[in-house]
Amino acid sequence: MTNEIVWEKNMDSAIARARTQKLPVLLFFHNPG
Amino acid sequence: MDAVTYPDEKVIAFVQDFYIPLQIPFDAKPLSSDFNVKWTPTLITLGSDKREHHRTVGFLDPDAFIASSLLGIGKYHFDNDQYVEALTFFEKIISEQSQSDSVAEALFLRGVSLYKNSGAPKPLKEAYETLSSQFPNSEWTKRAYPYRLL
Repeated sequence: MTNEIVWEKNMDSAIARARTQKLPVLLFFHNPG
Repeated sequence: MDAVTYPDEKVIAFVQDFYIPLQIPFDAKPLSSDFNVKWTPTLITLGSDKREHHRTVGFLDPDAFIASSLLGIGKYHFDNDQYVEALTFFEKIISEQSQSDSVAEALFLRGVSLYKNSGAPKPLKEAYETLSSQFPNSEWTKRAYPYRLL
């Protein structure tokens, strides 16, 4: 286990992983400041 | 969220086990328009078909994040007609996150999932009875009100 959340930055790659791993995506819209 | 919630060990483990995490700036087009994002933080539980199942706007502390995410993943399974899987997440909220704001909705959806899974109406009536006893002022108690007659 890593000690931080490793965020995907690209929708297509997140969706591809979600399909393969049969998991939902947590889509976090943030304000990078 | 970046300072308090996401560095939390429980949150890190939860996200790794149950989600593919995707971070997008709130003003990134066209996604922010596609998802009608007006404020941050906005958190959406999304299927691999890009269908939205659950949304929150505003800060969530670690416990609230986990409770809300359990609800989101339960709704992801519920919307995909996977009622047994959905029930495991609604039950977790009820048993492990009993102080969270998500419990009333979880009780409602547990009753509906049990009904959808079995065809028996009794869980709907039990959902109303539990809600009216534990959360008399909740909107979910009002939504379950007709089930008292079953």
